[in-house]
Amino acid sequence: METLHSVFVQPFIEIWQAPAFFVEVLIGGLMSGVMYSLVALGFVLIFKASGVFNFAQGIMVLFAALNFVGLLDLGVSIWLALPLTVLIMVALSFAVERLVLRPLVNQPHIILFMATIGIAFFLEGFGELLWGGDVRKLDVGIPQDVWFVGEVMIQQSDVVATAIAVVLVLVLALFFQVTRVGRALRAVADDHQAALTVGIPLQHIWIIVWSVAGFVALVAGIMWGARLGVQFSLSIVALKALPVLILGGFTSVPGAIVGGLIVGAGEKIAEIYWGPIVGGAIEEWFAYVLALVFLFFRPQGLFGERIIERV
Amino acid sequence: MVGMDATGDGILLESDGVSLSFGGVIALENVGFDVRRGEIRAIIGPNGAGKSSMLNVINGFYHPQSGTITYKGAARTQMRPHEAAVQGIARTFQNIALFRGMSTLDNIMTGRVHKIRSNFLLDALYLGRSRSEEMRNREFVEHVIDFLEIQSIRKVAVGRLPYGLQKRVELGRALAAEPDLLLLDEPMAGMNVEEKEDMCRFILDVNEEFGTTIALIEHDMGVVMDISDRVVVLDYGRKIADGTPDEVRRDQRVIDAYLGVVHG
Amino acid sequence: MSDLSNLDTFPKLLVDRAQRFADKPAMREKAFGIWQTWTWSDVEREVRAFACGLAARGFRRGDKLAIIGDNRPRLYWAMAAAQSLGGIPVPCYQDAVAEEMFYVLDHAEARFVVAEDQEQVDKVLEIRDRLPTLEEMIFDDSRGLRRYERGHLHDFAEIQNQGREFEQAHPEFFAGEVARGAGEDVAIILYTSGTTGRPKGVVLSHTNVLVAAANGIKRDALKSDDETLAYLPMAWVGDHIFSYGQSYIAGFCVSCPESSATVLADLREIGPTYFFAPPRIYENLLTTVMIRMEDAGTLKRRMFHYFMEVARRSGTRILEGKPVTLTERLRYALGRMLVYAPLKNALGFSRIRLAYTAGEAIGPDIFDFYRSLGVNVKQLYGQTEAAVFITMQPDGEVKSDTVGTPAPDVELKIADSGEVLYRSPGVFQCYYKNPEATRETKTEDGWVHTGDAGYIDEDGHLKIIDRAKDVGKLDDGSLFAPKYLENKLKFFPQIKEAVAFGDGRDAVVALINIDLDAVSSWAERNNVVFSSYQELAARDEVYDLVQHCVEQVNRDLAADPQLAASQIRRFLILHKELDADDGELTRTRKVRRRTVAEKYAALVDALYADQDHVHIETAVSFEDGRTGIVRADVQIRSVAPAAALAEAS
Repeated sequence: METLHSVFVQPFIEIWQAPAFFVEVLIGGLMSGVMYSLVALGFVLIFKASGVFNFAQGIMVLFAALNFVGLLDLGVSIWLALPLTVLIMVALSFAVERLVLRPLVNQPHIILFMATIGIAFFLEGFGELLWGGDVRKLDVGIPQDVWFVGEVMIQQSDVVATAIAVVLVLVLALFFQVTRVGRALRAVADDHQAALTVGIPLQHIWIIVWSVAGFVALVAGIMWGARLGVQFSLSIVALKALPVLILGGFTSVPGAIVGGLIVGAGEKIAEIYWGPIVGGAIEEWFAYVLALVFLFFRPQGLFGERIIERV
Repeated sequence: MVGMDATGDGILLESDGVSLSFGGVIALENVGFDVRRGEIRAIIGPNGAGKSSMLNVINGFYHPQSGTITYKGAARTQMRPHEAAVQGIARTFQNIALFRGMSTLDNIMTGRVHKIRSNFLLDALYLGRSRSEEMRNREFVEHVIDFLEIQSIRKVAVGRLPYGLQKRVELGRALAAEPDLLLLDEPMAGMNVEEKEDMCRFILDVNEEFGTTIALIEHDMGVVMDISDRVVVLDYGRKIADGTPDEVRRDQRVIDAYLGVVHG
Repeated sequence: MSDLSNLDTFPKLLVDRAQRFADKPAMREKAFGIWQTWTWSDVEREVRAFACGLAARGFRRGDKLAIIGDNRPRLYWAMAAAQSLGGIPVPCYQDAVAEEMFYVLDHAEARFVVAEDQEQVDKVLEIRDRLPTLEEMIFDDSRGLRRYERGHLHDFAEIQNQGREFEQAHPEFFAGEVARGAGEDVAIILYTSGTTGRPKGVVLSHTNVLVAAANGIKRDALKSDDETLAYLPMAWVGDHIFSYGQSYIAGFCVSCPESSATVLADLREIGPTYFFAPPRIYENLLTTVMIRMEDAGTLKRRMFHYFMEVARRSGTRILEGKPVTLTERLRYALGRMLVYAPLKNALGFSRIRLAYTAGEAIGPDIFDFYRSLGVNVKQLYGQTEAAVFITMQPDGEVKSDTVGTPAPDVELKIADSGEVLYRSPGVFQCYYKNPEATRETKTEDGWVHTGDAGYIDEDGHLKIIDRAKDVGKLDDGSLFAPKYLENKLKFFPQIKEAVAFGDGRDAVVALINIDLDAVSSWAERNNVVFSSYQELAARDEVYDLVQHCVEQVNRDLAADPQLAASQIRRFLILHKELDADDGELTRTRKVRRRTVAEKYAALVDALYADQDHVHIETAVSFEDGRTGIVRADVQIRSVAPAAALAEAS
């Protein structure tokens, strides 16, 4: 009885008694959700365009952030470091296409997936080789003050991060819907064979999606890095993208965004209100349990296409 | 409009001694024929005669073990599908290969992907010429839409269209590429009589209005004989007849091949 | 509106419009995905070039120019061009087969044909050898015609080019030809589609069309900034008046759809303010909305149904400016924001100021649906012979079962037989080359027989009840209009067909066919078990259901003094569906009254006798061609007349 009360009643009483605090928790959760969304977005882009589940996406976030912060530490200005890092990510895309995807074309998906695990290990090692394994502080001039809206406290950095993420998503949406390359990308995602026949060069498409995914990884990396410092545990945070994908569906851009927000907000709220009951650390596993529940009831995710295996 | 390079009886494509086998199964054996500029050329034969294989060889999906394909005067043994597209070969498929999640308009627009002079990678940034090129492409695509009378489904996702219309959209996507050679893989398969008549009219009109050379394959003799200038007949991977529809119709080997095979 | 006294023909009107409204849009057409616009001065230029081209090709005054195709600006221009030269345009139904077209072209002695495209050209070529008067053919769309032999086949643009050359040589020609025209000249011959016998060519003068169209404009205050969509056949008098006559007079813009398949999308893009459609179009639009709503999410669907209920209660009253409570007004305003406005936008009705329906009776549900949304749909009653307008519903006096009051300058009278007659400035000259039919229809002093039976109600509204030839009398001399009763019954979804009897009898009885789809789904919801149509038709529950419908009809009839006597006293539900294969229906699914009366004489007798059930054996043909006998015991229900009910409630 006592337990039931503490699980089903007490948390809601707390929420009711201090609504401003609840809103703060919710907003904080949504903000970290935005980060998950960005990482998941990179996964979705590559998965849609090439059917490859890119295990290395999390490491790409780290790798991009490492390069960026490394360049800054060498005394390069932000405005030069940013395009340089973008160039590095594009170069990485060329290398991945030439050295991994092209030789493995027409191989089963599992082979390509394994190959991305290889890419992940390589990038992790290569990053450490280049820039060392220390935690690096990243300061890109994002304001660290807080605003008060009524009683609710809002981190300015969270607002900036959200704004940037929103702009990024809008730009990507426009890119996909309006430009010819975007249309070609959608076409490839829809049907490879048909895309080949109309003369869409698949290799170029792969380079473009990996570059875009690299760019998204860079943005995500800078955001995370500015919050937590650039360190190797970033890649573990990035793994949260997996439950986000299960929630949102592997092929849906809106799914990645909504999934990220749900996971972010859900785990924060669970941690604050239900955490004490089990001794905390709900944040660590909440996302995975949620994903598990989803796998039972809606395996295609919130927005994913229904997967029908034909016999 | 008759293309600049349509010079009377000029040969656009020639296959010479083409053989193709999968494992031990022979799909094509020493097949040779030509396609003249501006004509409608049919490749017919009972099911399993090797017609689709022939189309796939021309289009670069399959690479023959021996023999050559000479296209626009240049002989080649291997060609990738996307190179074929760039060289002016467009095609449709027997089992429609459209982008089902995209609209009719977007599908046809993809047909113009290689009609682009600006660099594809730079184009990703939507810079420079790409915007005005996009306008020109859209204009051309609107003519195709008008031509095929599919204005009403411009914005409809292709996956939601009935079969006959999907075939038409696929033809539209091929036309958008302004091909020199249009390959049609069983364009009338699975259609009712009315849809077949429409498709025949479109094929004839494409040939007439744009001067496009058309090679089409069909297993049903009836319709094809009415619209083709010349017909090649394949049976078990070999060429058994080649000539005008009348000549082919009278050919004893053709009659035997068709009578000997149950087909729909 | 400008003074029409000097502008007594359409070409004169056009020349005037080209100056008065020079830069105002006159026509639009969607081509290659973009709306192209022509101003009034553009139109005048195009018409002039084509008229001169026709003249260069030998078109003379009095020549007929047949026009075949969908609504295209060039075909409308061809109409005006022919009229400019004192010629007579003869638009043909574009979906007619070659043989039907032959009759019209041959009968009208057309010398020139303007055809839209290859399809129409092919049709004319098929019959050309049998048309001695036909000389030149002109096409709008050259697609597929490249290889045709060109002797007498010309491109529209080519004729216009010849026209421009001709005009350089004869600069005064066009103005001179236009000036020679007069109001009493023949403006157009419209062939009625002819449900019975051969089509008849209705000859209308410029004055007929001009005055009728102008009166319509006057009644509804149409202005030069109205917009309409031309999508109904050009050969139909309605299109000629709305898309040509009224456009020229009021100066409003007419848009042509991209193709007949895109009409709904084009409607949405253009957003006309003035719209005309037969009832079936309103029905189709409503059906697409309903289907989309069934696919929508639960919240959306609930919202839709809730606010449609609000609209049903108060929408029409608000449209007509009648008193409505404040809360109801607020609900309606909320509904307008959430449901009605988006819905109207999806239908292409967001700018509609005035919409008409005519041609046949519109179901009251459909009519009320649009009016409750705030779309001002009204009914009008018209004929080709009247240049459309006979009666129309004035704003604020709209009832779903009448067709309104006489249009301006129209006189109306009802013959003893019940037939409606009218006289107006729009009344046609004659049927072309058919004086006999003209005499039968139009009296010496200008009254025209409509062939419809009706009466004028206490508010002065005309109510059409039936075709005059079908109307009979009960033995007490009161009016009996079987089709009217049957239509009323058929407006219920549960009733598929109904056949009413009563001519020369003391009361009205009816045979009823239930609608298997509607009733069986009702039966499933209400746990009524059945295995066949016959079994379902015999169920008491189904009889109860139909009885409700009949009682409702009776209540409506009771409210109408003219028809109160023809309330349905007894009915039965037929044990089989009326079927064209058994000769009970025509192929177009109209009831063959006499066949049914003979075949089911036993049932009709039983209805008039004092029985409560009757045994019958009927020969039927099955779908595989076999024939057999169906035996059934059919129940008969008596229905209390509604006068008593009406008083009780």
